Amino acid sequence: MKTNIPFHPDRAVQAFYLFFIIHTSQIGAGLMGVPRILVLEAGVDAWISVLIAGLYLHLVVFIMLQILKSYENADILGIQQDLFGVWIGKTLGTVYVLYIFLLLLTVIKNYIEVVQVFVFPEMPIWLMALFLLSLMVYSILGGFRVVVGTSVIFFFLTIWLVFTIYKPITYMDWEHFLPVFRTPAPDLLKGVQQVTFSVLGLEILFFVYPFIQDKKRAALPAHAGVFFTTFLILLVTVVSIGYFSPDQLKAIVWATLSLFKIISFSVLERFDFIAVALWMMVIIPNIVLFGWMIVHSLKRLFNAPKKPTLYGLAFLLFFTSITAEKRVALNELTNWTGEIGFWIVFVYPFLIYMMILLKKLMKKRNAS
Amino acid sequence: MSLLLPMKKEEYLSSSKELLNQSPDLVQKVFNHEGQLIIVQFIHYQINKDQLEDELLEIITKSNRPWTNEALLNKIPIASTKQENKMDAIIEQMIHGSVCIYIEGEKEATLFALPNQEHRSLNQAETESLVFGPQVSFTESLMTNLNVIRWRLDTSDLVTEKLIVGERIKSEIRIVYLKSLADTENVDTIRQRISDLKVPEVEDTSVLGQLIEDSSSTVFPQLIFTELPDRFCQAIVKGRVGVMVDKSPTMLIGPMNLFSFFESTEDLYMRWNMGSFIRLLRFISMALSIILTPMYVAALTFHYEIIPSTLLVSLGQSRSTVPFPPVLEALLLEMLIELLREAGARLPTKVGQTMGIVGGIVLGQAAVEAGFTSNILIIIIALSALASFTAPSYLMGTAVRIIRFPMILLAGAWGIIGIVFALSFLVIHLLKQKSLGRPYLSPIYPLQWGDFNESIFRVPFQKNAERSKSLMTKDRSRYNESKAAERNDVDRL
Repeated sequence: MKTNIPFHPDRAVQAFYLFFIIHTSQIGAGLMGVPRILVLEAGVDAWISVLIAGLYLHLVVFIMLQILKSYENADILGIQQDLFGVWIGKTLGTVYVLYIFLLLLTVIKNYIEVVQVFVFPEMPIWLMALFLLSLMVYSILGGFRVVVGTSVIFFFLTIWLVFTIYKPITYMDWEHFLPVFRTPAPDLLKGVQQVTFSVLGLEILFFVYPFIQDKKRAALPAHAGVFFTTFLILLVTVVSIGYFSPDQLKAIVWATLSLFKIISFSVLERFDFIAVALWMMVIIPNIVLFGWMIVHSLKRLFNAPKKPTLYGLAFLLFFTSITAEKRVALNELTNWTGEIGFWIVFVYPFLIYMMILLKKLMKKRNAS
Repeated sequence: MSLLLPMKKEEYLSSSKELLNQSPDLVQKVFNHEGQLIIVQFIHYQINKDQLEDELLEIITKSNRPWTNEALLNKIPIASTKQENKMDAIIEQMIHGSVCIYIEGEKEATLFALPNQEHRSLNQAETESLVFGPQVSFTESLMTNLNVIRWRLDTSDLVTEKLIVGERIKSEIRIVYLKSLADTENVDTIRQRISDLKVPEVEDTSVLGQLIEDSSSTVFPQLIFTELPDRFCQAIVKGRVGVMVDKSPTMLIGPMNLFSFFESTEDLYMRWNMGSFIRLLRFISMALSIILTPMYVAALTFHYEIIPSTLLVSLGQSRSTVPFPPVLEALLLEMLIELLREAGARLPTKVGQTMGIVGGIVLGQAAVEAGFTSNILIIIIALSALASFTAPSYLMGTAVRIIRFPMILLAGAWGIIGIVFALSFLVIHLLKQKSLGRPYLSPIYPLQWGDFNESIFRVPFQKNAERSKSLMTKDRSRYNESKAAERNDVDRL
């Protein structure tokens, strides 16, 4: 495996698509339940945690871009191999693949759970998995550009859901936020960690970077994507705390979706049915982008042929998603994934960056 | 091995007859002129007889010198001539309307093209009708069509490349574009795809379109077929590439994107705000046409909660007598509408009106009274059928009506989840389509904000100074925007 990927203009996309890629891979299953887990940790000051997490996200994006800029046209797999040698590099790459697989599984399982709770209690899991996975396979078969297109179009198809939040806003009670600044710092930081669990997917930047056409302009859309993610989480958290009371919120698993319950139009009552179904369109870019990452990485690491890998991946996901049945297992899976993801996505880049700096220093010393 | 001239008179005459399968239409006339044997051959209905007599035979017979091939070319006032020595080629030219003159003993025969084709004159467009704007439509004759296009686009920049396709029956095909505007890659793609064709014959432009389009497995058309010269010329002027096939009254335009199938030439003739409004109306009606019936099925089968309570009462009343599940009810009525449409299209116009009354009013009314369907479903089905007919491209309207059926089935099986799944599948499907290698969902993905001007909205001409980016035209700017808005009215002084 070469460190750098040869650049093909035919397979590349423009830099501003990074906004959609990063944003849509971050927003997904996490957003549905983030207010509750935040309030459990940080209480009514949860919004401060979101702000801190937002700043931290920008820092991580900055470090990621610094890492990527120090190479010509490389992705994380190539960089790891360059830094740690072939074997360790490939092992670390495999860890990445396994982690993304877990993430993908978590997203699918969580959404199926939501559909069963909100719309169809009797919807068979295998059928939902089949729906989601067939869409994933169909999109990834179209190649990288179709994958990016999926994220762009589904972003536009679902972003209007944000505007329906005006209704809960009108019912908000600002007293729920009082007293401010009472949460101790450790709890706030725990809240920050909870936020990062919900915005995993940022690592996609490490994988798509070689396919960006004008790399000099990559920073702005990447930061904008992260900013918009933070904004949405902040909005949802603040509205949920204001709309439900903090105690009530602790009992609502999918607070974001529950916000849709009071929205109704003259031709449409119970908008939450539609919203939950439409949430599939929020999930699809997630699944497609993560699936692409796995297929692409396996091709890079082990030269695995893409189509059979894709079918194998879909089959494996199908199999694993129909086996684990209970809500408890799902919670464990989600926590696990979050835990692993936190270290891989939000801590590990700093390590790599330090390694790169060290390597540069060594080179300079050797040269002089 | 083809027969070659020179030949003796008897041999020449018999071999001509032989090659034309003893056709009774072959006229063979031998003149004995100043000691020469001049043989004139033609197929009588393929040539213009007045011209033959006035401009050819009269000159030949009245001359008092012996004729040579040279003299024939020089003296006879017919521009389109050719000299051939292969019998096969001579026969082929005669089939296309040439008169063959052979002077016994010469090495070559001389052919004069005097074709006489029967074709209708320019008529009013029937399948794509406009409220206002030019009404002329193309005809079956390629020459007439080229004439119309040359007249509309009178510039030397217009290229009409000629290709011949068909291994058994040959068709003349023209690729039409503006040289200084159309993207070379687009032209090359079309030329390559057409000249790669190995087919016995090309029946029509729409057949050619299916042979050269990017994906044949989708229901969505990827190239536009039109019978309107103004639509064709508008596309050419925008930088697209057109294809004309002889003997076909429809023309083909590419590359296209999904949104261009909802553009009508009328949008340009109307004021910009009306044009934009009507175009938006078409997009909305397409969405409604796809969504309405499946939503009805999903709501009534699984999600009673999303129907407002006041509506639910009347819905329940009208559905109380219906014995079928909503899916079956909807499929039944959709089938009825499709039958009406198909029967209406096959019948002559006079009977067609009766059909509409029988089908629409009698059947619809009776179906409700018999407790077959609910009133509301009739309204919904009629609305979505009506909406699907607003597409300016007939093929696109049909595609929209077809994709409704799997959606109704999915809605019947898994409610709103089924609908969203089908919609997602549809979006990804559209995302994967290409038209002449160009992305099908063009201004949305790849995202080109500037192209929204032309393809989603219809902005005023003064504001539309740039050509569509997705067409990759050689000249991006249409005119200088600041100058276009400038006005020097007389009374401003």
